Amino acid sequence: MKALAIALLAAALAGCTSERPPGGVVGDPVRGKIALTQYACQSCHLIPGVPGSKVYVGRPLSDMGRRKTLVGAVPNDQAGLMRWIRDPQSVDPHTAMPNMGVTERDARDMSAYLLSH
Amino acid sequence: MPTNRQRLIIKTAVLTLMAAGAIAGAAGLAVLYGGWYNIGATAQHYAFIYTVLEEGMKQSVRNHADDIKAPRLGDPAQLQLGARVYRDKCLQCHGGPGVAQSTIGMSMQPIPGPLVDATQRWEPNELYWVTKHGIKMSGMPAWEYHLSEQELWAVVAFVTVLPSMDTQAFKAATAPKAAP
Repeated sequence: MKALAIALLAAALAGCTSERPPGGVVGDPVRGKIALTQYACQSCHLIPGVPGSKVYVGRPLSDMGRRKTLVGAVPNDQAGLMRWIRDPQSVDPHTAMPNMGVTERDARDMSAYLLSH
Repeated sequence: MPTNRQRLIIKTAVLTLMAAGAIAGAAGLAVLYGGWYNIGATAQHYAFIYTVLEEGMKQSVRNHADDIKAPRLGDPAQLQLGARVYRDKCLQCHGGPGVAQSTIGMSMQPIPGPLVDATQRWEPNELYWVTKHGIKMSGMPAWEYHLSEQELWAVVAFVTVLPSMDTQAFKAATAPKAAP
């Protein structure tokens, strides 16, 4: 039974790691996925791979790996995304997304996860 | 009198059900006592477990709030009282438009939802019921014994106007001096 559970877990994890971060992206996407849930990101955003309610308070984060820009003209590269996550008001003073007090390491790992999806 | 063939069918059916029941029971006990399901709040539920729990919660609230009739909500004094209650009792876990919840609210599982979209999910009588009775196993406290009837309806009224508030309006309404 335990062997089966481990096998299933391994299969699930293999599914996760098959989403490779694009070139130049640093950080730990597996840790980033957990970090996203520890800053309540999923309370407002639909996040791929994170179970939660059907919320649309913030925009779904399902296409972050493909988007070219964030709000306005800020490029959706890892530096831009980290800046947005850590201090949204510095990018858009009127955004309703609060500053969640995300540390640099956590923002790096979060962005690594989001840019892999 | 049943024939031999009929007796055999019944016997087979009964034994099969008993065996299936025993196996299911053993599997259930193995899961329960194996401790494999991670109860830690850094691990998310499996999506189907989350969905089932959420749906059950929703239906339970609908059912229990069915008989409650909401009074007329939204006069300015009531909204001011509601803003004070929200600031003191809700903000730390639910946050508000442009305002982050405290780290307590951020890291709870299940995550306390934002209330800015609450009116899309709930009727005022249901919001009242949830606030008054809380939600088991979710961290949502019951406020029945800590807030007055007037305060309960006031905070419901305030939640119903949240969608119309931007960050500035919300901060003004919940400022320490705005609603003493």
